[in-house]
Amino acid sequence: MKDNAGKGGLSRAPMRRARWLAAAAALWLSLQLVLVVWWATVIERQAAQIAALEALQGGNVGQAAAQWSRTRLMLIGESATSLALLAVVSLLLAWLYWREHRRARAMQAFFASVTHELRTPLTSIRLQAEAIAEGEQRAELATRLLEDSHRLESQIDKTLELARIEGGGPLREQSIPLQAWISHSLDGIAQAHGAALDLRAHLDPGLPPIQADAGALQMILRNLVENSVRHARVNPVDVRLTAAARGAQLVLEYQDNGQGVDAGARRLGRLFGRGPNSSGAGVGLYLVRRLMQRMGGRAKFNTAPGEGFRAELWFPVST
Amino acid sequence: MSAPARLLLLEDERNVAETLIERLRAAGFVVTRADSLASARRAIAEGSFALAILDVGLPDGSGFDLARQLRARAPTTAILFLTAHADAEDRIRGLEIGADDYVAKPFHFRELLLRIQNCLKRAQDLAQVPGEMRGLVHIGRARVDFERFIATVDGETQSLTHKECAVLRLLAERAGKAVSRDEILDRAWSADEFPTSRTVDNFIVRLRKLVEFDASDPRVIRSIRGVGYLLTEIHRD
Repeated sequence: MKDNAGKGGLSRAPMRRARWLAAAAALWLSLQLVLVVWWATVIERQAAQIAALEALQGGNVGQAAAQWSRTRLMLIGESATSLALLAVVSLLLAWLYWREHRRARAMQAFFASVTHELRTPLTSIRLQAEAIAEGEQRAELATRLLEDSHRLESQIDKTLELARIEGGGPLREQSIPLQAWISHSLDGIAQAHGAALDLRAHLDPGLPPIQADAGALQMILRNLVENSVRHARVNPVDVRLTAAARGAQLVLEYQDNGQGVDAGARRLGRLFGRGPNSSGAGVGLYLVRRLMQRMGGRAKFNTAPGEGFRAELWFPVST
Repeated sequence: MSAPARLLLLEDERNVAETLIERLRAAGFVVTRADSLASARRAIAEGSFALAILDVGLPDGSGFDLARQLRARAPTTAILFLTAHADAEDRIRGLEIGADDYVAKPFHFRELLLRIQNCLKRAQDLAQVPGEMRGLVHIGRARVDFERFIATVDGETQSLTHKECAVLRLLAERAGKAVSRDEILDRAWSADEFPTSRTVDNFIVRLRKLVEFDASDPRVIRSIRGVGYLLTEIHRD
């Protein structure tokens, strides 16, 4: 049986615009080519006439031929230079257009993502609030309200941090003993997810301190954990943290027990890049990557079906 | 007293799902929850539902895909999308797939309840096919089975959405007489969907592709200027 509900041509408008742009670019390049050829032909004819007139006036035929040859070379050079310059300007204009187009698309994606991310906790909050307003008095409603307000808060924090980082906001890097910092902060990070998360760290107290911003470190771990809780599709989500010194760097390894997805490691951590069918905004892992870069380190992500999600955070060791 | 309607709720956000289930059960419905496409497919295979409330962005796929399968496999089940994908393109896509309604998050529960009741009522009306419309009905070049929500054209069987079925059946019931756009709107759309007479015209264009021998020269569903539409060619097996 065939389903007669078609997709309805929703992407026709951008396709039509792209075709128009390609046609306009082809027309523009053809016009340039015709102009340059026309200009070279006209000048060449005029130069040939001048050379013929000089020869008629009794000039030296050999000298006139040499002069004509030099003029011809000059004309070819000038034509080629003009054509090259026009091509460069055209390419520059095309690149500027493409960059602006990408920026506009990224901006649109950003607002769409953030709006979408805010709608879900708002929906839940409204549902709980309406139930309470109609006289229901149950502790679960309050618990859910707290969870949803935390989710809203986290989304707003991420959005503000994104704006701060993209705007070149400063980080306060300092020497941080990772084992002590994690054992102190772990409970706070895990608390927001309750029984849905089992977060444990196995770190050697003898690890060298890292050079990092404590606020950024908090944001990084929070985003990784939120990513796991949201996408792992297991309950509870087990997350394990281990670390090892490698030369002048310290690697913090993060592994969850989720189902993993076939997302491709390169797509993870792209701004507004979302996994297949992901309901996230595509900001969390991008912030992890950018914050690690800003602190002089790097982040590597990996996920595959059946292998969960894995992150390697490479921090510079504090000297 | 009729049995309570069975609803399938496909929602991956735990808090939204749990509160909705509690409130829908309190409103008298029997609700089965699925949190992924896989679990929704299992639920559909195990039982029948009067209405499926579907989210769109799910961990293992899109609710749109499930709606297509559901429309083909369980044509009597009404479909309502309940999603944060609120832009016009998503809404149009959902309705084109065959959803009976599309509600954007955040929503008011009472509004959702009203829309659920409207969907169920329309689905119930559609399920009660009058005697003269049972079996195969020839409309233009299509053979339509209103009980199974399918139409066969040139040997190829196509599933009909609830709205397509409702509009076509109204025209068939009143064959030979003009049916106004307002009557069509009343039959297939609820007032809270904010349809316009242009919505009806778009639907007629789709139906003409199905029943007309030459869609550019429609003779089966004729336009009656200033009134609406008139179905001319109909007979039963």
